Amino acid sequence: MNRARRFGTVIGLIVLCAILWILTPYFLTVSNLLNVAEQTSINAIVAVGMTFVILSGGIDLSVGSIVALAGVTLGIALRDGQPLALALTAASAAGVVCGLVNGLLVSQGGLPPFIVTLGTMSIARGAALLVTEGRPISGFAPSFRVLATGRVGFVPAPVIATAVVYLAAHVALTRTTFGRYVYAIGGNEEATRLSGVAVRFHKTMIYGVSGLMSAIAAVILTARLNSAQPIAGMMYELDAIAATVIGGTSLMGGDGTLGGTLVGALIMGVLRNGLNLLGVSSFLQQIVIGAVIVVAVLLDTVLKRDGGRRFQGRQ
Amino acid sequence: MIAPPPALEMRGIRKAFPGVVALDGVDLSLNAGEVHMLLGENGAGKSTLMKILSGAYVKDAGEILIDGARVEINGPRDALARGIRVIYQELNLVPQLSAAENIFLGALPARALGIVDRPALRDRASRLLADLGLTIDPRVRVDRLGLAQRQMVEIAKALAPPDEGTPAARVLVMDEPTSALTSREVEQLFALIARLAARGVAIVYITHRMDEVFRVGQRVTVLRDGRRVASQPLGEVTVSELVRLMANRDLTDHYPKVRAARGPELLRVEHVSRAGALTDVSLTLHAGEVLGIAGLLGAGRTELARVIAGADACDEGRVIVAGAAVKFRRPSDAIARGIGLLPEDRKAEGLVAGLTVARNIALPHGRRLSRFGFLSSRREDALARPIGEELRIKATPTQPVRLLSGGNQQKVVLGKWLAGDVRVFVFDEPTRGVDVGSKVEIYNLMNRLTARGAAIVMISSELPELLGMSDRILVMHRGRIRAELDAADATEERVLSAALGLSSASADAAGREAEG
Repeated sequence: MNRARRFGTVIGLIVLCAILWILTPYFLTVSNLLNVAEQTSINAIVAVGMTFVILSGGIDLSVGSIVALAGVTLGIALRDGQPLALALTAASAAGVVCGLVNGLLVSQGGLPPFIVTLGTMSIARGAALLVTEGRPISGFAPSFRVLATGRVGFVPAPVIATAVVYLAAHVALTRTTFGRYVYAIGGNEEATRLSGVAVRFHKTMIYGVSGLMSAIAAVILTARLNSAQPIAGMMYELDAIAATVIGGTSLMGGDGTLGGTLVGALIMGVLRNGLNLLGVSSFLQQIVIGAVIVVAVLLDTVLKRDGGRRFQGRQ
Repeated sequence: MIAPPPALEMRGIRKAFPGVVALDGVDLSLNAGEVHMLLGENGAGKSTLMKILSGAYVKDAGEILIDGARVEINGPRDALARGIRVIYQELNLVPQLSAAENIFLGALPARALGIVDRPALRDRASRLLADLGLTIDPRVRVDRLGLAQRQMVEIAKALAPPDEGTPAARVLVMDEPTSALTSREVEQLFALIARLAARGVAIVYITHRMDEVFRVGQRVTVLRDGRRVASQPLGEVTVSELVRLMANRDLTDHYPKVRAARGPELLRVEHVSRAGALTDVSLTLHAGEVLGIAGLLGAGRTELARVIAGADACDEGRVIVAGAAVKFRRPSDAIARGIGLLPEDRKAEGLVAGLTVARNIALPHGRRLSRFGFLSSRREDALARPIGEELRIKATPTQPVRLLSGGNQQKVVLGKWLAGDVRVFVFDEPTRGVDVGSKVEIYNLMNRLTARGAAIVMISSELPELLGMSDRILVMHRGRIRAELDAADATEERVLSAALGLSSASADAAGREAEG
């Protein structure tokens, strides 16, 4: 990703904030900004997993359903009086297992990720509805809800969680062999295989990471709502893909950064918040957000095309 | 009488990219009916010049004249409208469509409601193909055609008027058109080129093969480092002069073969078969040895290389490395046994184009370079830097390989295997699409590797290279080893006749078939 492109997204975010500040001064208050950060945290975390998957040349449509399934797993465990640590482990396991199943079907089964995760999207959603009989599980102990309501200093706990996730994922992506293989597989899977990299294993793990991210998001969501809902996480896959793509990650794989994804998620969060502050109807909001996604990717493509022309190799 | 102006004239063409001047005042002039060879090492500026001609790039300075009139080319449409057609190395056909549909893709004859007029389409395509002296059924799907025939379709497509208003081809550019063809197919292509030239089409022909230069061309222009260093009739130059002009260094010996001491057996292949590709192939490879593998396209050479390197499994037979039988399920198994593969197609199989030089070189060594899974760029660079220096890769470790020329990219693929404990190198077409200077560096590297006690299996379609660099040569034909020749008594004729499946030396009749 070239420098112009990276600045582009950040500049877009700054311009957006400036416009909202002019239109409604309340936007740029500490309490509202913390609110935006907190609201963005769930999509931002799901988008981390999506970024890994898209960087490797895949796609994960099942993240929203996995959020629901991990959430109700957590809810059931807590309702049944299990200790918090066990409940969190069960939720994580639910997410990771779903992700690994996706990964195995893609890497060992050789099926297209779009189809595999489309299937999982339906299966996980159905499972969440089945085990709860379609009813939400509500009313948790304050010791659990502190995961969403708690603050460190003045920073809400979900924001801290997001920061930790991004830091860890960024290190994994840029400083570990795993991260290097994510880029290599997305860039040229066959060359990577011929270099002796265990491509199938790593692809499986990539989807596992995505499942884990959905589970973490599910914990925060459940704590925030004080309720585990089998219909939670609807359309999360689209928000996560949008954040990733607005952040400059190529859907072809091999090119992109987590920093970009974070900015992409913030653009979406700021936009929603701003439109709410301005009293824009939720119907109109959908249109605006859709348009922003298309325009962002259009700008990205144009920038890349020009950058590409300037930086293309010569013979 | 005044001579007609050149069909194409490019004057003082200049093009700069960030940090590098790709073309610095280049002139190129060619007459109608002329086949003009364009030579230069990778990175000399040939492709940039042709991309300016075709409208893919816009020049920074200079002018272009067609039939003496100045033209502005600001995009591919302008180039098409001036009768300029370019055939790139990678073919641009839709495999699922018929030859006729491909040829007229931009201007399918249609009836009312946009329904394709199939009879008219077939008629036009047949007429065009017949006109070009080609015997291709216009109805056949392109993915059913062989590579050479696809190339012919591509040429027919280039020559077909894309729509009503566009003039016929005036200037045709061909970029290494023979790189994937067998020599019979090459003959067909040359005959077609001669017919086109006879009709007054001006042809720019880019190649790395010296023999073709003299066979097809009338004049030659040599580029070096973005400048024109020569432009003259081919009758006035020799091969060695051209090579010197391109490389700016005397390459008196193209094949600097140094024989290494023959050591213990490193690899043995016993009765290996793979359905549809290999039948009962056996070979041995000793330390210090270069084993050349000759054969036509499709003889099973690449398939053999892939079995040895663990990229494909074999149905029968076994591979023995340093005395122990092994079963390779995946490439990493072979790498763990010290076998490294330089694949045939470096872009598709050798490189991750978006990653840097250092990260490509370090790719097979992730586990060794990392601590508890953590991998530092510093260690990758430390691994890659001396390899880059040894191979004289003209790039920094942090440059994406996408930006490198063909020769430098190939060196990066080679570099991947220099870092580890690889003792058996499997080189599949190591010098394909590589400039002369880099070729020599690759040969020198092979000498250094064998001197260190490594062994090399080298597949090559260039017979002189095979004869020049091998200690022994195996000749494959239809998935079998047809002959084993010692370098001392291998001749082009003997290799050829075996590659063609002939029993005796009636090879000269077959021409240079093994070039394919």
